[in-house]
Amino acid sequence: MARNKVAWRRVIFVILIIASLALLTVSFRESESGPVHSVQQFGAGLLAPLQSWGTKIAEPFQDGYQWFKTLWSAHRRAEELEEKLQVLQGEIIKLEEQAEENVRLKGLLDLRDRATYPEGTEFAVASVIGKSPTRWEAWVMIDKGSADGLRKDLPVVGATPTAGESLAGKGLVGKIVEVTEHSAKVLLITDSSSSVAAKIQGSRAEGFVEGSVSGSLVMDYVDRDIAVDPKLIIITSGYGPVYPSDIPIGVVSSVGEEDVNIYKEIELQAFVDFRVLEEVMVLMLPEQ
Amino acid sequence: MKRTRFAIVGKALLLLVIAIALQTLVVSRISVLGVTADTFVIFTIVMALSRGPLQGAIFGFFAGVVADVAFIQPLGVHALVYVLVGYSVGTLVSRLGGVNALGVFLIAAGAALSAQVLFGLFQFMMGPRAGFLTMLGTQMLPAAVLDALVTVPVYALLVRFRVVPASPVEPKTAGGVAE
Repeated sequence: MARNKVAWRRVIFVILIIASLALLTVSFRESESGPVHSVQQFGAGLLAPLQSWGTKIAEPFQDGYQWFKTLWSAHRRAEELEEKLQVLQGEIIKLEEQAEENVRLKGLLDLRDRATYPEGTEFAVASVIGKSPTRWEAWVMIDKGSADGLRKDLPVVGATPTAGESLAGKGLVGKIVEVTEHSAKVLLITDSSSSVAAKIQGSRAEGFVEGSVSGSLVMDYVDRDIAVDPKLIIITSGYGPVYPSDIPIGVVSSVGEEDVNIYKEIELQAFVDFRVLEEVMVLMLPEQ
Repeated sequence: MKRTRFAIVGKALLLLVIAIALQTLVVSRISVLGVTADTFVIFTIVMALSRGPLQGAIFGFFAGVVADVAFIQPLGVHALVYVLVGYSVGTLVSRLGGVNALGVFLIAAGAALSAQVLFGLFQFMMGPRAGFLTMLGTQMLPAAVLDALVTVPVYALLVRFRVVPASPVEPKTAGGVAE
């Protein structure tokens, strides 16, 4: 009995194998419109609505799963982006500083090209490394010294960030008053002990630009008969042993007269903004 | 006897319908390790584990035909593979005289892997030219593991709810079943 059952089992197994192979053979050999394909397509058509329902039912669960999944990775991504942002912000600051430095150095180059300097003049660009701690004096320390060829009484010009190609931001800074091997002290024209021989561009007016404790600039010794209008440009006159001519100093901001004074009182606004001075150019005039 | 047979056939049909529903509505949308489970082979293995080689083979044949229709594959591919799987699993379990949970897992893993290899061979002969070894690593092995993992709780659940018995109905006879 058991053996009959086993034999019967094997027969059915073989029948099923043959049936599968027959289906496979017919499926490959018949055309698309054959009966087997037709039955298959009919069955697939019956299952298609099930699959559509499945999509609709599964959609909210899939969306929920995706939401959790993206939430998890979003948190990590946010941390990564935060770090990247800080790095990029640091780089932006560096780039902005470099851009400003570029503008200032361009300004210095412009100064070098615009003014007329004695033959043999060389130029040394230096960075400001220190400033006077009190208002009693107005000076800056630069990072070049005698080792770089600097000496006392050399004129110094500068450029501070401004827009456009105008003179604004570029002009006379001062002169070197002390030198060490690798640094030098520059007395600014706004210092009360500074005096620069100057003239008003396009006019006969000449005088001296002097600094003051308040930091303002005044042009003195200009005859009161000479007409001076605001917005006129004041440049070095070249008289004296230090400053060559035609270096821009500033622009007239106000003109005053006193009955008892034979000279005009001309206040001027320096082209250079001494508060943000970072680079200067030393005019290394040939020794006389 | 007739009622028992009708009950067995009815439960088998019920399992088939559940397999279709689960595969189309749920399982095909859940991907684990890049593969989805195959409820047809899982239920074939369950049927073979509980009912023996004959019922396993018959169920495998009809499940395979339905799978070929559902997956729009040449008719007979899945049928052939599932017949072989069902018969082999049923025969093995009959010789062992019953299995525990680990046995179910191992048998299911072996059967699922064999099914995947057979499909792979078929695809290799007829279909896309992806390397066999590549398919082994990316499709066959992960699918076999996944099917085996799913088979264990499915089998336990169906036994628990008395849809299938816990072991093959026909015990080993004296002298052994000559399979």
